[in-house]
This record gives sequence, C-alpha cells and structure tokens, in this order.
Amino acid sequence: MSNTRKIMLSIAGFYVLGIVLLIVIFGFGHKNNTFQIQNEFKLDNWVNLGVFSINRAVVYLFIATILTIGTMVWIARRMHQRPNRVQTGVEVLFGLMRDNITRGNMDDSMAARWFPFIGALFLFIWFCNLIGYIPLPTNSEETFTLFGVHIPDFALYAATANISVPLVLALVVFIAFNWVGLRVHGPIGYVKSLIPAGVHGPMLILIAPLEIISTFMRLISLTIRLFANILAGHLIILFMAGGLAVILGLSFLGWFTMPIGIAVYLFELGLVATLQAFIFATLGAIYISGAATHH
Amino acid sequence: MLATIRSVAASSGVGAGLGIGIGGGLGAVGAGVGIGIIFGKVIESVTRQPEMRDEITSIQWLGFALTEACFFYGLVAGLISYVLK
Repeated sequence: MSNTRKIMLSIAGFYVLGIVLLIVIFGFGHKNNTFQIQNEFKLDNWVNLGVFSINRAVVYLFIATILTIGTMVWIARRMHQRPNRVQTGVEVLFGLMRDNITRGNMDDSMAARWFPFIGALFLFIWFCNLIGYIPLPTNSEETFTLFGVHIPDFALYAATANISVPLVLALVVFIAFNWVGLRVHGPIGYVKSLIPAGVHGPMLILIAPLEIISTFMRLISLTIRLFANILAGHLIILFMAGGLAVILGLSFLGWFTMPIGIAVYLFELGLVATLQAFIFATLGAIYISGAATHH
Repeated sequence: MLATIRSVAASSGVGAGLGIGIGGGLGAVGAGVGIGIIFGKVIESVTRQPEMRDEITSIQWLGFALTEACFFYGLVAGLISYVLK
C-alpha cells in the first residue's frame, strides 16, 4: 500500500470513527429552540447616535474603508524599483482593475476618467467580502470571559451580507451611469438611446416600457447578486460548520457536515469573494460605458 | 398544482419552509443547467482555439457569476415568502 493511500484511509477511518463515537457518547439529542439562527446576523447598536448609530455592519465598513485606503496609500508610498511580494500582488490587482475591468469595457478617454471610481468600488467590495471570512469578536449576543474581560463571541459576518450596503453601492453606480447618459445625450436623447435602434411604430409601445424597466432592474439585480451571494455563503458555512447540529441537537451531524463547511469556506474565500467584487465592478463599467454610447 | 401545494403545505405545517425549498430548489436547477452549459462551451472553445484561452477565461467568469446569481434570485424570493408567511 502506498503512503498517500495509507494517509487517505486513516483520515477516512478517523472521520467514520468520530461519527460513531459521537453517536455513542451523546446519542440523539433534542431539538434546540433557544438558538435562533437569525441572531447570527443581528445588528445591535453599540454606540447610539440615532441614524448614525454604530453597529456591527458599520464597524465592518470602517475596517474595509481603512484597509482600502491604508493598503493602497501605503503601497503607493513605498514603491520599489525591484518589487517585493506584496507590491507584486498589488500590481497584479491593479492590472486586473485597470486593464481587465476598466479598459476592457470602456474606450480609453472614459477609462482614464472612470478608473478611480471603478477601482475603488472593486477594492472596497473585495475587502468587505474578505474580512467577512475572518472570525472577529463581533457577536454581542453571546459573550465569553477571558482574564475577567467579557469578550463577544467570534463570528463570521460581512457588511455585504446586509442588503443595505450593496443597495447603496448599486445606487451609486445607478446614479453614475444615468448621469453619464444624461450628460452625453441630454434628457430626451438619453431616453431615446435606451430604445434599441430600428424599433418604430407600434413595437415602440411594447419595447419602450420594457427597456425602461430593465434599466431599473439593473439596480435590483446588482444589489441582490452581491447581497445574496455573500449571505448564502455565510449561511451555508454557518449551517454546515455547526449550526445545523446545534439546532437539531445532533452532535454527530456537526462532525459529519464539518468537511462540507470547510470546503464551502475555501470556495467562498477563494472564488466567490473575488468574483463578486469583480462582477460588480465589471457591470458598473459596462453600464457606464453603455450609457455613453447608442445601442 | 398551486392548490395542491397549498393544501399539502397547510396540512403538514411546513408552509413557510416550502417557499425557501421551492425557490431555492428551482433556482438551483436553472443555475445548474446554465453553469454546466457555460463551462461545457468554455472547454469546447478552448480546445478549438487554445490561443484565446486568457480572453475566454475572463468572459467565462462573467458568465458564471451572472448565471449563478439566478439561483440567488430564487432563494431570495423564497426567503421573502418565508418572511411574509
């Protein structure tokens, strides 16, 4: 038997043994009604300032903002002729934002103008998504005590898993592309430019409302795409990495679903977080450049 | 069909959960088919024109994310029906 096979077999054996042991020790428990899954996403006001109250999502937004500004300014200040590893990474990211996202979808004069906006959008959403996968002590519902200090439980949470954050970002994009359209074509010309060329007469009654609705649907689809992706990812990680076991009171189920939880976590961290930021920025660029040109 | 679903839901007391189940499940069907088609076509076109690989890869992720979002539209619709009961 080869070495790899031995390791694989022992891991599988350990996995099955764990399930059996947990059934033997804890058996089949009772349904747990005190644990509410929605409390994991609850927003408690930590600092009360009326509308500007600081809660969990606001703290995450602050961290993302500081990271976005901080890392970029820090890297830009200490650029070296021979880049180190961090600088190379940031340069790859910069190339992706400039060449792929902005220049790939806009003509050069617009790209030069809109690159800061699209780049900032990408980086902000990217950092928002990524810090959502670091466990931070933000679950103020439950606390534990360490050296006499009450510390909130560590939890995964992302500001983008709250619908208001993607909605505001989508609104900014929505206003931006409408503003570009209005400035380039003028109010009447912009409405005309929404309708595809070659549509005349009675077809206009059918097509025009559809096109106008589809413009507003962009706002909704941008919002839901980002929000639901991140929320669903966090929910699946939560359920697979223990939530399901706690609700149903079956401890062996937690052991059984843990590998799935880890796999989903890696998938979300490696692909979805970056992909959603990329798609949001790309669609923003496509909409803005589309508003400036005729269909 | 809808009446049957409603009566089943009312009798078994799972009406609220049914929304998420149907929304998420049917959303997953559509998104699964779509993602399968996208990656199938990508393999097809890369084997035909390997030199286009980089360009195809970036379009592939765009298509993947747009298709995958359809699953979440279904899921969110289900969640809304769950909240509204």
